Amino acid sequence: MKKALSVLLSIVFIVSLAACSGGSSSKDGAKNISILTPFLSSVTTNEMVEALKKQAEDHGWKANVIDTKGDVGQLASRMEDVIASKTDAIVIVSTDPNQLKAQIQSAKDKGIPVLGCDSGYIDGMTMNATSDNTEMSKMVTTHLFDSLGKKGNLVVLTYRAHPGVLKRTLLLDEMLQQNPDVKKVTEMQVEVPGPIESARKEMESLLLANKAEGSITAVWTGWDEPAIGAAQAIEASGRKDIVVIGIDGNSQAVDMIKKGSPLVATVKQNFPGMAEIVAQQLENVFQGKEVEGTELYAPASLITKDNA
Amino acid sequence: MMETTKITKTSSSVQWSKLFRSYGTVIAGILIIIMFSVLNPGSFATLDNAINISRQISFLVIIGIGATIVMSVSEFDLSIGAMASLGGVIAAKIIASGGPLWIAFVVPVLVALIIGFINGWIVTQFRVLSFITTLAMSTVLGGFTFWLTGGATIFENIPDSFRYIGQKSLGSIPMLSIVMLLVTILFWYVMTQTAFGRRLYAIGGNESASRIAGLRVKWNKNAAFALGAALAALTGVLMASRLGSAHPTAGNGLFLQAYAAAYLGMTSFKEGVPNIWGTFVGAAIIGVLANGLTIMEVPTFMQDVITGVIVIAAVIMQRLGRNAQ
Repeated sequence: MKKALSVLLSIVFIVSLAACSGGSSSKDGAKNISILTPFLSSVTTNEMVEALKKQAEDHGWKANVIDTKGDVGQLASRMEDVIASKTDAIVIVSTDPNQLKAQIQSAKDKGIPVLGCDSGYIDGMTMNATSDNTEMSKMVTTHLFDSLGKKGNLVVLTYRAHPGVLKRTLLLDEMLQQNPDVKKVTEMQVEVPGPIESARKEMESLLLANKAEGSITAVWTGWDEPAIGAAQAIEASGRKDIVVIGIDGNSQAVDMIKKGSPLVATVKQNFPGMAEIVAQQLENVFQGKEVEGTELYAPASLITKDNA
Repeated sequence: MMETTKITKTSSSVQWSKLFRSYGTVIAGILIIIMFSVLNPGSFATLDNAINISRQISFLVIIGIGATIVMSVSEFDLSIGAMASLGGVIAAKIIASGGPLWIAFVVPVLVALIIGFINGWIVTQFRVLSFITTLAMSTVLGGFTFWLTGGATIFENIPDSFRYIGQKSLGSIPMLSIVMLLVTILFWYVMTQTAFGRRLYAIGGNESASRIAGLRVKWNKNAAFALGAALAALTGVLMASRLGSAHPTAGNGLFLQAYAAAYLGMTSFKEGVPNIWGTFVGAAIIGVLANGLTIMEVPTFMQDVITGVIVIAAVIMQRLGRNAQ
């Protein structure tokens, strides 16, 4: 009996301790921003969340970060909770808003703005900041075509089922039409998940099938993971005449570019830039002004061996 | 005179301790609710939020009941999380390709019945640990789900009719909460008021005695696994309906919480025995904690720590209750 009571009391004690450490809501007048994501452990998402926290601090807002470890159902529940707690704004990071339609609507009904950081925009949201996929693709594809002297044999590794990657690939299609001397050897769809391994295997087979020097001059990939896989395959085969480009600027890719692998260029998405745009637009909302647009782009930058 | 006093005192203390052992978790739950209400009268203790919580816990209650049924025969099904993910994906695939609504709800549950039965069959036929068997099955189901989805979320071409149960309310009560209550009452009835339920508890209590008494142990165990998996798949379908999309790992996080709810539940109502209303209370406590702590802006990592500590405390309390018996 005594033991049971002591266990019970300690539970209540622990919970109340935690609850008190949680701090009181915005009685001090500072705006409360709820930052929600299911992917805090992902490198890029984490970078954005950290940048958002920094931005919130600079604007004098109180940021509360909620991560649900990949669980979108949980995310919907936690979003309802922050709506119930009358938060002043919600920022969803790296989250497909289509999965939160009902919650976004209910936030809108309660007058709580929902902003996206690299999330996508749907009706009911205030705005979303992301990268312009077409523009990024143009940057790196132009760089590749220029360095090839606008002629050569191109292998394409992509995944058209992903809406962002599709935009990048469509731009490539357009540029291939404008540059008839760049010939497409083949286009392969990379398997997701496991894109690095999949691209590596595909590239190994393609190298065996195209042994003659110059039969492949470059590999265009829809994002960095297949670029890494393709570069590894080329490196292992010992062929020096093939270059690879990627898009995203993930740290492994940048590292490979630095070390002089077949991977020669990528485009780095500006994640802190996205956080900055979200914060600016939120400031506008708090001041009762209109946002500058519902889908805003953070400018990306080309990474080559010179600046990696 | 002195003798009398002593006796009275002892018996009242026994009564208190019995009350406490039976309803300790319920009391803890009420204390937690009172505490959050006092600290956040404007946001926690509102009708809106109560409705909110009832909808949020519906998944955990339903999948937790599935876990409870399997636990009643002293086995574990670790594949319920993966089963929920698969259930949601199958439903979304059917509805997105233009299939009728009822098919989208029924097929995943039927598939789950079969998979659960296979789980049970392997465990009972080869006398292997359900722990490992269902863990392996969980991997199989996860692989199957990824194959079906290509790892991507399914959200295109999902009609509004599919979202009805997950997102709409009857009056002000969410459909999900109603489904949760119906499932709870149904399985409370099945587990306590029918011969089938009593057989499950008998097998869970003493398997060899049940066998000697002539119970078809294998068949009943298989049925328990099948029901557990079916409820997991139903949870997955309801989640897909709520989100209007199906994520290949949507249900995975529920599996540990389901057992946490069931264990918390073992300390209420029927001491030391997995039971349906106990699981309901357990899920409600986990749901209230997540909701209340989020409203209080307690960091997520702290919420995990607290939930884990509470489950450990529940297991200890259940042990103490058993020893006292």
